[in-house]
Amino acid sequence: MATTAKLQVENNNPVVAIQGLLRGLLENESIGGVLVPVHHFGKSMPMPTLVTDPDQLSGADPLAPAFPMNSAKLLSRLTRGQTGERIAAVLRPCEIRAFVELVKLNQGSLDDVVIVGVDCMGAYKNTDYRTFLAGRDPFEATLAFHGDHGGTDKPDAGGVELSAACKSCEHPSPANADLIVGLAGADLRDALPVLADSARGEALLNALGLPAMGENGRAKTLEALVKVRTEHRDAMIEATRAVTGTLTDLSEYLSACVNCYNCRVACPVCYCKECVFNTDVFEHKPWQYMGWAKRKGSLKMPTDTIFYHLTRMAHMSMACVGCGQCSNACPNDIPVMELFRTVAARTQESFGYVPGRSLDEPPPLSVFKEDEFQETVSHMA
Amino acid sequence: MRKQYGALVVGAGIGGIRAALDLAVTGHKVALIDRRPSHGGILSQLDHQFPTDHCGMCRMLPLMSRDSSSQYCLRKGLFHDNIDLILSAEVGAVEGEPGKFLVSLNRSSPLVDPTKCVSCGICSTVCPVRVDSEFNAGLTKRAAIYLPVPHAIPNHYVLDLDNCQRCWKCHEACPTGAIDFKFEERKDFHILVADKDPEVRAMMEKHLGESNFPLHFTENGAEAVDLLAESDRFRLVLLGLDVDGMDPERVLTRCHELHPGLPVVILTDEARREQAEELVAQGARELLVKPLRSGRFAPWLDKLYMRIMSDTTVELEVGAIVLAGGFECYSPASDPAGGNDVWCYDHPAVLTAVEFERLLSGTGPTGGKLLRPGDGKPVRSIAWLQCVGSRDVKKNADFCSGICCMFSIKEAMLARKATGGEAETSIFYMDMRTAGKEYQRYRNHAEQDAGVRFVRSRPHSLFPDDGGGIRLEYLDDEGRLVPETFDMVVLAVGARPPKGTDRLAEMTGLTLNDWGFAQTRQYSPERTGSVGVFAAGSFGEPRDISESVIQAGAAAQAASRIIKAYDVLAGIATEPEPEYPDVSREPPRTLVAICASCPTLKQTVDIEGLAARLARVHSVCKVATVGSACTPQGWADIEAAAGEFKPNRILIGACMPYAYIPRLKELGRTIGLNPALMDVVDIYTATFGGKGEDDGKAADKEIHATLATAVARLQGADPTPPPVMVDVARSALVVGGGLGGLTAAMAIADHGYGVCLVESEEQLGGSAMRLHTQLDGSDPRKYMEELIAQVRKHPNIKVFTDSRAVLSRGIAGRFRTAIASPDGVFPLEHGVTILATGAHEAKVYESGLCVHGSVMTHLGLEEKIATGQLDAGALSGVAMIQCWRRRSEDRAYCSKVCCPEMVKNVLALKERNPDLPIHVFYRDIMMPGFLEHYYTKARKAGAVFIRYDKENPPKVAFEDGKPVITARDPILREDVVVRADILSLSSGLEPNDVEDLQEVFGVEVNADGFYREADFKWRPVDFLKQGVFACGTGLGPRRMGETVASAKAAAQRALRILNAETIARETVVATVRHSLCSLCQACVAACPYGARVVDLEHGRIKVDEILCQGCGACAAVCPNSATVLKGFHDGPMMSVIDAALEEPA
Repeated sequence: MATTAKLQVENNNPVVAIQGLLRGLLENESIGGVLVPVHHFGKSMPMPTLVTDPDQLSGADPLAPAFPMNSAKLLSRLTRGQTGERIAAVLRPCEIRAFVELVKLNQGSLDDVVIVGVDCMGAYKNTDYRTFLAGRDPFEATLAFHGDHGGTDKPDAGGVELSAACKSCEHPSPANADLIVGLAGADLRDALPVLADSARGEALLNALGLPAMGENGRAKTLEALVKVRTEHRDAMIEATRAVTGTLTDLSEYLSACVNCYNCRVACPVCYCKECVFNTDVFEHKPWQYMGWAKRKGSLKMPTDTIFYHLTRMAHMSMACVGCGQCSNACPNDIPVMELFRTVAARTQESFGYVPGRSLDEPPPLSVFKEDEFQETVSHMA
Repeated sequence: MRKQYGALVVGAGIGGIRAALDLAVTGHKVALIDRRPSHGGILSQLDHQFPTDHCGMCRMLPLMSRDSSSQYCLRKGLFHDNIDLILSAEVGAVEGEPGKFLVSLNRSSPLVDPTKCVSCGICSTVCPVRVDSEFNAGLTKRAAIYLPVPHAIPNHYVLDLDNCQRCWKCHEACPTGAIDFKFEERKDFHILVADKDPEVRAMMEKHLGESNFPLHFTENGAEAVDLLAESDRFRLVLLGLDVDGMDPERVLTRCHELHPGLPVVILTDEARREQAEELVAQGARELLVKPLRSGRFAPWLDKLYMRIMSDTTVELEVGAIVLAGGFECYSPASDPAGGNDVWCYDHPAVLTAVEFERLLSGTGPTGGKLLRPGDGKPVRSIAWLQCVGSRDVKKNADFCSGICCMFSIKEAMLARKATGGEAETSIFYMDMRTAGKEYQRYRNHAEQDAGVRFVRSRPHSLFPDDGGGIRLEYLDDEGRLVPETFDMVVLAVGARPPKGTDRLAEMTGLTLNDWGFAQTRQYSPERTGSVGVFAAGSFGEPRDISESVIQAGAAAQAASRIIKAYDVLAGIATEPEPEYPDVSREPPRTLVAICASCPTLKQTVDIEGLAARLARVHSVCKVATVGSACTPQGWADIEAAAGEFKPNRILIGACMPYAYIPRLKELGRTIGLNPALMDVVDIYTATFGGKGEDDGKAADKEIHATLATAVARLQGADPTPPPVMVDVARSALVVGGGLGGLTAAMAIADHGYGVCLVESEEQLGGSAMRLHTQLDGSDPRKYMEELIAQVRKHPNIKVFTDSRAVLSRGIAGRFRTAIASPDGVFPLEHGVTILATGAHEAKVYESGLCVHGSVMTHLGLEEKIATGQLDAGALSGVAMIQCWRRRSEDRAYCSKVCCPEMVKNVLALKERNPDLPIHVFYRDIMMPGFLEHYYTKARKAGAVFIRYDKENPPKVAFEDGKPVITARDPILREDVVVRADILSLSSGLEPNDVEDLQEVFGVEVNADGFYREADFKWRPVDFLKQGVFACGTGLGPRRMGETVASAKAAAQRALRILNAETIARETVVATVRHSLCSLCQACVAACPYGARVVDLEHGRIKVDEILCQGCGACAAVCPNSATVLKGFHDGPMMSVIDAALEEPA
């Protein structure tokens, strides 16, 4: 039976309570640093920050409804090869799932990292977060966002909505974390439950010496949240399918693409050191462009845009965790996340694969099974 | 001059191909011949092979020096630098001796010029003849001019003269003039007729006018000889036995003296037929019986004329001869004893196994649908009848064909699969002989998972059923006569020696056994009665693919020893590769040469328009139209154009691209351009459409795309950089000093390479030393002792007993291994490793063994009989139990040695005491091949064989220390109780424990603990890890002869590496662009050859370029092309795709 400890909230401020929890972890000799979103200069967007001095945790705000980037890639940098020291990382569920995928691809390791997951109530797009702040103190804004009870649907704040990815995310609770801060269903003025979800988490939690805590309705809140979000997701997929079913539709859908490749830089599971689209493979010769133009009478000059997105779908849709960073990063507001989640829903379903669910499930395309998809390949036998 | 070869391989089936490849890769030139017009033997008709139920022939292709052979479907073509494949050829005469055999081959002309035939198929369409297609086993018809197989490359039409009606329609229809009936040469074909019969002359003068042959008549033999002496214009002599003046025999002799090779046909009447036959034996071509009828004579003469004018003889000088003639299937129709009636073979619902395979084939009559010939109804129930023409003394087949049990199971599984499980499949059998490695598992899988029904019963009779099916009657377990109706019956027909074996035997001086197969030696199954002539594949005994391949390897090894011993072709140096200038920094300039010789191109497309459009394709500097690229003139045109335009890429559009590969090398030398920068593509196939307007357009588009694609491919071509080399350590490590290890060591040492033989026991010899006798009466001990003595005194072999290999590193060609011997650990450098670790008798502690003195294993019994410890005369009864611990769930394999061992003991006891009651309890008697004969003998000697089921094994009790066996007799259908003095148990073979060696050499074992080979059928003695091989009982249960064969086959595979001083990297290998690599290691997992590792120290993926086989799995799995397969870079590949999709502007 997993332990649930009680993290007392003082002064109606759950952020400070979580800072305290992290401080407690950092004071534990076995942990050398904490990766956590921090408001630098006391304001603006919280950025993932590796904190080693407990005093500097005062800027940490893991509850801010901001999601400037997916930390999985950062954590991969912190855990590749020889690490030496153990760290803790405070992550959103989608960041944990992306990191699990990266570990499967040998891009990081879970050996020397303690994952602290927080129930995720969603976040705004980067541009919307600024609108949401509206000049307020970011901590105040965070507290205002969450209100008194974790997990109840938040009213429209400052005229902006949560990002589309978060609204359609069916994974608000963290999986594969060592410790979980159970925001959902908690009375944020009173106390937060901290759950140990692994042996390692259990040991750490026991060392913190927190009192035990009983059931507070988290499961029910999460269930309700998942229901709303799943409905939202299904509607989104249906709408996207309707407008991307043909190559012409897809071309129109992606017509604003300028080959900036921001989406794949932002994508946590796009792990190539250098994308093939940035290599000599796509350094076409002038005569080739002329040839293509002549063949059809014209050639849209950011070329290979559809090819690029299709390639990314082929490579990454199986591992797509739906974090929405691609849309967040797009300068031209192409709904990339919607497209990828739509495609991923199909590919992942085909293999019964849920990215980030378990380290023991190898990526389907890395496994060869002679007899699968007989209906597709039987004509070749 | 005679063309010289290291070896002649007769028969280009699977055994012949394996033997030829094994010799070719060790550097010997091989002539591979087959009398059929296509290679592949019976396997060209079989699409699926167990256990995978796929093909896999291509796995036999060389893994090293891959560039020397083509690397595609081996069914379609066999191209190797060292192999000359000569089809439609038979051995005509053999003279000489080992090391220097002089061989004449009779090569039957296809009458279609392969250099002109473009395989358009018009000839076949216009041909009025329809006869049974050999390829489809008579299930479809073919014309007299036809494609022997649909898939060969090159695939040319051949004319079957025997069935030709001489309507000449094909000749008229052929667009390229490839069919040559020699009309022009008739006027020079002078025929001398020496015969007294006036009718003959009258008939010939009257009816041969149209034939245009100049005829010369004489009635006098002496005059005929004078005429022949005067002139050499005669091409044929018709010699009557009734000539005056000179004895016809004398005329024939003089003919041969004056004009060797001049064909003489004897004319005789029925009365003097014998004399005529004698003359044929003396060298006359054939005989004709008078009276001659013009209706038959004229066509006969025409065909003879065409044969004489077209057929050729090929003279060879070869070091050794490997006979791999395979086998022929027993035909129920050809059985004079009325086999037809018994098997209902003339009924359309009764098929032989080969016919059934064709029915299931995608290239068969129904495209793979299971429809009954005759009425085309879907087949929903099929019965297989085993042992048709095998194990049948009445049909001179007191042998087991050894292959039918497995192919019937396979066919049943395929039938289930082809019908989505709807077809009910039943196999009627006597014993299911699943004696091969993993065969029992396959059978269990068929029975338990795939729903194949096995019925142990020999059907009594077959009757046609009203519904178009066949009714069988058979006895069930209860002894009732059960009728059952099937939609189809498949006869599992057995093997027979191939036609002409007797003649071949006569020519090569080998002896045949009672059943017409080549007699081979007990401990050298590849050796025949004639030195330098070896049996491969099934030539000595019917064998399945895996055993045939092993046997072929053994034959190749023996041939290689002869070639080595007689120093055949010594000193013939290979030409050094020329150096070509580096053009990689020049902009590509492509010369496109279009061969416009054949009219079909002109008729279909606008060549000028095509050339104009191609000239606009990037990098094309010139499009030249040449006459006939296949002629020296056309070739000179291409050379001239190359000289004028100085291209650094050359593309030729012609027909039959494969024919140009050697020429490109020549052209490269002449003009100083790497042949890798040249290509030939087929632009003719596209022109064989209909005649419509749209066809022209489609062909135009296709030809343009073909050429533009090739231009793009050449642009990205990347000539090979200098290869990476491994210096080969030219010695071998053999682990295991039993029969396998000793044989392999001798084979390698006799080739002049050092061998280190490591044996963990103190004595050499292994488990074969426990045998005392063999079924054929030979002395295995003596053989072993001699072999050990030979090994001990061989100057190239060092023996280490009481020693082990404890550590091994390195790759094929250079291993470093630590050997722990009683004198300490020492390092050994060697190029190859052979694991021959053997097996042992399984330990049995049941049924009173080791408790009661009256219970022993077969081996123990053999020893007691041989040493005289046991007096057979004093016994009152012996019982034996087979499969005592084998073939249960955890031991799902047959040990293969126990049944012969049992029979051996039965015969030995019966010889000493004919009246001794012997009861043998068995599940399936496994006596494959000619061993069956001994089983028959044991039954005749009076031993009682009682079958039992796995579920009801015999119960053993003891009374006064003597065994009492109770079991159910399925024939009497009641329990029998047998009291015996002695109970002998078959205990089976268990592989020796090799857990440490698996680790040391990086090899694997299967579920039973036997070594796992790279591929059971096609690479049966290789490991996946290159340079490491296995043989003997460690690889799978084997008898002594088979162990020897596997050891020699393994040695031959090893010699391929040892014969090379260096091993070069291949052209197509994968590399890693480290700056792009994220080290996700997906490629490491994807590589099937273990050629990739992560170098943790440098943080990069390392590719072993010798192990890499260029399959491209790594490149496919790498998301950003950090892994690149040479010659298949993304950029050029996309250009190629782009060109293929391009619409002509």
